[in-house]
Amino acid sequence: MTGAPVLAIQDLRTYFYSRAKQAFVRSVDGVSLSIARGETLGVVGESGSGKSVTALSVLGLVGGSPGVITGAIEFSGGNGRRNLLQDLGRYVTVTERDGRIVAVAKDEPGWRAQLERSMARVRGNEIAMIFQNPKSSLNPFLTVGQQITEAIRLHTPVKDPKEAKDRAIEWLERVRMDSPRLRFDQYPDGLSGGMCQRAMIAMALACEPSLLMADEPTTGLDATIQSRIVALLAELKSELGVTTLLITHDIRVVSRLADTVAVMYGGTVVEQGPARDVLAPSVPAKHPYTAALLASLPSAQKNGRPHAIEGRLSVIRGEVVDTMDVPRGCRFYARCERVTDAIRARCMSQEPALATVTTGHRIRCHLHA
Amino acid sequence: MVHSGHGAKVTTKLAAFRRVGVMVVRELALTALLLLGVSLVVFVILHLSPGDPFSVLLEGQAPGQAARASVREALGVPTTWYGRYLAWLGHMAHGNLGTSIRTGVPVAGEIVRAGPNTLYLTLGSLLVTLLLAVPIALYSAARRTGALARALTLAVYLISAVPVFWLGYVVIYLFIHRLGLFPLLSATEPQRHSWLYVLLPIIVLGVANGTVSEVTRHLREELGRVMTEDYIRTARAKGAPVWRHAFKEGFLLPMTEMIAAKMPFVLGGAVIVEQVFNWPGLGRMALQAAQDRDFPVIMGIAMVAAAFVRLASLLRGVIYAGVNPRTATE
Amino acid sequence: MADLAAVGYGLLVVALVVISYTLGAVAWLPDDPARMDMARLNAAPGPGHPLGTDFLGRDILSRLIVGIQAYFLPGLLAVATSLALGAALGVVAGYRDGRAEALVTYLSNLVDSFPRLVLILLVIAAFKADIYYVMLVVGITGAPAIASLIAAKIQFLRTKSFIEAAHVLGLSTGVIVAKHILWYNCAPLLIIQATLGMAEAILVETSLSYLGFGVQEPTPSWGNMVQAGANYFFQGKFWPSTAPALAILGTILGFHLLGDGLNNILENKSAS
Repeated sequence: MTGAPVLAIQDLRTYFYSRAKQAFVRSVDGVSLSIARGETLGVVGESGSGKSVTALSVLGLVGGSPGVITGAIEFSGGNGRRNLLQDLGRYVTVTERDGRIVAVAKDEPGWRAQLERSMARVRGNEIAMIFQNPKSSLNPFLTVGQQITEAIRLHTPVKDPKEAKDRAIEWLERVRMDSPRLRFDQYPDGLSGGMCQRAMIAMALACEPSLLMADEPTTGLDATIQSRIVALLAELKSELGVTTLLITHDIRVVSRLADTVAVMYGGTVVEQGPARDVLAPSVPAKHPYTAALLASLPSAQKNGRPHAIEGRLSVIRGEVVDTMDVPRGCRFYARCERVTDAIRARCMSQEPALATVTTGHRIRCHLHA
Repeated sequence: MVHSGHGAKVTTKLAAFRRVGVMVVRELALTALLLLGVSLVVFVILHLSPGDPFSVLLEGQAPGQAARASVREALGVPTTWYGRYLAWLGHMAHGNLGTSIRTGVPVAGEIVRAGPNTLYLTLGSLLVTLLLAVPIALYSAARRTGALARALTLAVYLISAVPVFWLGYVVIYLFIHRLGLFPLLSATEPQRHSWLYVLLPIIVLGVANGTVSEVTRHLREELGRVMTEDYIRTARAKGAPVWRHAFKEGFLLPMTEMIAAKMPFVLGGAVIVEQVFNWPGLGRMALQAAQDRDFPVIMGIAMVAAAFVRLASLLRGVIYAGVNPRTATE
Repeated sequence: MADLAAVGYGLLVVALVVISYTLGAVAWLPDDPARMDMARLNAAPGPGHPLGTDFLGRDILSRLIVGIQAYFLPGLLAVATSLALGAALGVVAGYRDGRAEALVTYLSNLVDSFPRLVLILLVIAAFKADIYYVMLVVGITGAPAIASLIAAKIQFLRTKSFIEAAHVLGLSTGVIVAKHILWYNCAPLLIIQATLGMAEAILVETSLSYLGFGVQEPTPSWGNMVQAGANYFFQGKFWPSTAPALAILGTILGFHLLGDGLNNILENKSAS
């Protein structure tokens, strides 16, 4: 894969201030990710790991205060390469103590105004995003067709309603929607969840974006429909080669679709690398969290043959780390089952850095440092 | 079920129309049922009144008991209460609302004569209320906190508690005695801006009908709620103008709801405002009728007022059905 | 917080009203409301008359205090009627769903179809201009709204199997309704509705007495004070009309703020 990565997030921080608890919720706490052209990066993690907020931060869709505070988002779309958070640094002043941010001053109206200006050409046009709960993510007062043609007429040279409609129906066919002409005139209420998600995908791709972000596209759908949507995404991937940021907590979805994987925990990336390296149970170098995630999957196949699930499902003990009261050392320490006495002191006091284990495969763990 | 091309589009549109049509018919039926209930309430109140106002209503104003009894026999006026009720309904169906006890003039004609004045007052003041409430609601939805937002909320509460009759005097005083604008054109000295006087009552009623705080709050809350909906986030993510997506559920529907719901309050306020401004409308007529115990007039006005409220409600139902074919009976 | 301030002001107003009512009832007034001080007509607030005098030289403060008599008890009647009737209807609708609930909805819509003043005029024409009759009507028209709220609450409790559990424990329906539903669960709601209902009642009474259907001169009521003072408005003497108007404004505002403030506090508590 040559050329600059389509998206390179560098040291992104998105915080939310909780007045009730008088502390920051450090949703995204120094995340760096990059996606090469044509590649699908899968970001996995539990709820609260910050994966969705990362994607929302890219498009400036984060509500709440203070929101995005530091970092760079290098984007190389059709219009050359630029930092989406450029010029925004002057609206934020950050106070650090002991290497940790303790206070933030942000000129929110100024930031918002500047952000909207720079995002205007990007949203829906160069970067498209689809969400979970597709039925509620579509406007119930407009027909599916109206919503898709709106996107087409906004972001492509096609302005004529007739042409836009033809193009929309073309895309509905490409997402394997049955009876596309019929569905075009229907309201989201008359479509199933799976069909709504197909419509959203069509709406996103009809503008031929340089990057597609999919935030839990299968969550909220029935199990059988989930696998159909995953199959669709796989087909579209091989047909169109759209660069994709796929966010999900479902490891099976990620293993099917992703070329590279990043595992997030407590607002940071704890492991990233090629999918086969990160996800294959046989590869020994693994972050303890990833290992635990994989182990907790019920697998109905053993040695390639279906077998009954025996014994108990393994669980990861403990609770998800509180992103308000981030511990001093490694964020996963309290739940880690691979701590050894040799590294325990370091695990407790010092957060490990992402260290390269093999080419392209990095892990944030003192075991592998 | 596989459809193709034009046929499919017709089927969906037809289905939508049918759904809307069903909803509208249901609304009509409900309105009819409610108006029936209203007529029953009005009838019962009058029936329970000491002094049998009903005979006067149905039989006209013959002088004595004996004369009335003979009129009754001649006209075949029913004597049972339900008989009378049905007779009265029948009269109303033919547009006969009886004749005023005081003036002897047919009530229906009077209502038609004075009705437009009250209509102007009602609709005009609703407009004024919305002109006041909408900007405040939009601003408060956008800026939830801040000194100005809080001050506006308090101001809105204050406005809603102002006695409308007093405000009327203040406004009249300002206009007539300070600015010298008189309501009537004098032959010798035509006042240039006296037509402004017709704006005064709608401004007063629009400001002080007591509903501004609720209307503002409802609009603000609904808009705020809609802005957090998933589909608005999708609209933002695709770079579409958010107002276009939020308009129907965040603005149009709440407005329609408020207009329909506050109509009775505005009508009630009109009674007072017409008194203050000596406005020749149904409100002033109703007051006079209540003082004179002029039953046909007051009953007629009550029915017309209730019918108008129900009409507003019906329109609200139709708009809801038209905007969202799914939940047409919200 | 703004809500606490609102509630605070509201409680202050309620206290003032109750105290003033009592003072008026026992005639413990700063001045004789009927005494005409001919030397000082339409006087602004000054010595001896903290709120000035009206067009007959009568002390406005005393008249305002006595004016509360006009709406206090009638207002309580309206509130009591709507609460009692509303609770009864609401409990019935909540216990049996479907038809009973549809009936309450129908009654709500029916009652809402009338502009209240028009209905009151109808009652006045049919019977007489008695404030208690009127307040009865006001109470009746306020009942369906309360019924809906209570019915909704009962439905909510149903989903939590609260009522089922109480039955299973052997409590009688009467006790369940009175003690557990209405008192423990609905009390805040009822209190809020009571304050809002009182505000409505005051508005109705003052409007009616302004229109001439309430207490007659020389007995003071805030409404007729505004009306009587209005003539002097145009002579530049605002005070006799404005003082009672401000009293109306402040009092209705107080009850509204109290009700809405309590409502907000309640909602925040259940949300957190």
